Amino acid sequence: MSAERDTCSLSVLEKKRRHLPGLEGVWVFVTADMTVFGILFALFMVGRDQDPEIFESSRQSLNPDFGGVNTLILLTSSWFVVLAVDAVKRKEGDGAQHYLAGAFACGVAFMVSKAIEYTQKLNENITLLTNDFYMYYFTLTGIHLMHVVAGNVVLAVLWFMARARTIDPERPTVLESGATYWHMVDLLWVMLFPLLYLVR
Amino acid sequence: MDQKTSLRFQLLSACCGPAFLVTFVFFWGILGNNIPNPSPSLSAEELALRYQNNLGEIRLGFIISMISVCLYLPWCSYLSARLQQIEGKFPTLANLQLIGGALTVMVVSFSACFWAIAAFRPEGNPELIQFATDSGWLIIDLQYACTTLQMVAFALCVLSDKKGQAAGTPLMPNWACYLTIFCAVSFFPASLTGVLKTGPFAWDGVMSYYFPYFCWLCWETIASYFMIKDVRRRIRESKSSSASLSLEAQPA
Repeated sequence: MSAERDTCSLSVLEKKRRHLPGLEGVWVFVTADMTVFGILFALFMVGRDQDPEIFESSRQSLNPDFGGVNTLILLTSSWFVVLAVDAVKRKEGDGAQHYLAGAFACGVAFMVSKAIEYTQKLNENITLLTNDFYMYYFTLTGIHLMHVVAGNVVLAVLWFMARARTIDPERPTVLESGATYWHMVDLLWVMLFPLLYLVR
Repeated sequence: MDQKTSLRFQLLSACCGPAFLVTFVFFWGILGNNIPNPSPSLSAEELALRYQNNLGEIRLGFIISMISVCLYLPWCSYLSARLQQIEGKFPTLANLQLIGGALTVMVVSFSACFWAIAAFRPEGNPELIQFATDSGWLIIDLQYACTTLQMVAFALCVLSDKKGQAAGTPLMPNWACYLTIFCAVSFFPASLTGVLKTGPFAWDGVMSYYFPYFCWLCWETIASYFMIKDVRRRIRESKSSSASLSLEAQPA
């Protein structure tokens, strides 16, 4: 009997271990998106190799504090999202709602920080036409920023769903899908930050 | 029209997808000298010389591609009818798909027409040739949102087909729908062609040309494959149901 229960709990455990968070389609999307960013990072490195002086002098003009703060903001927001998923699974609706609000606020903070950084650069008459480094800087961070905006829309929808208690604690597929996407946005920034601001 | 004839037209329309694909790559891409395409950083004289050196191919390529691009229309028309079947009384997404597809044909046609104009008097003022070439590329690269909406409408409609999914006969599997949405948003970097003349975001770059066009044609291939498979399944079902009906009609 106990052996049977053991097998049973083992298979349940295995099922839990094998469970793919979120919709399979989100993983298709994430894989494709990461591939595109992978190509972009490779193109950046090729460009850097062709014109190392311009890339290095331009990199030094970037303020790494902005990049560092943005990294912290996004890591914190990812942490909030993890807590929200956990809260939903523990059927703590209020907690999930607050954590999602925290993640959303971090997303807004990221956008504000980026807006300040862009404004500073534009005030110095630096645009994506200045040189190849800034072309990559504005396009890569711009495309990433569009991902953040889309992610914030997703987080807002999830917040409304958490408030209406329409997320199923047993199968929070929509929440997990949103969380997967948001973690990807975070991961991309964690790669973009050293690539643009730190690599000498 | 009887069902058999209707299904035959449906299959023919679905097959227009691969026909479009092959003719587009051959006439627009290869004969039109668009693989690789002219760089926006070429001077007017260099560009004019490019037309003069490949005049016959370029003229033939773009003139025929303006006709063959219309193969996209029956394909979209069938797709829209199939989406309408999924949506029922209010075919909002089916209509959006149809409008998006029809306008895509116009965008592609206008750009090819500008290049045909550029090739019309290749010995003329090089700056006018450059102007016509620039116009063609900016039209096709900046006005992609019609195609984006067409693809997203299609993917959302198929994803929402609960009845088809329950019966195990969705038009496309879910992964293909998500890939469609990804392909649709892969066009966004092409907006940078309006500003940049060199690098991966210029109109001859990886991110504004090769990758989004590959995504568009990749979607066209995947969607055509599943559409043709779907029509053939419906033809088989129609044949078996008519066979069983005729069996029932026979006197005992």
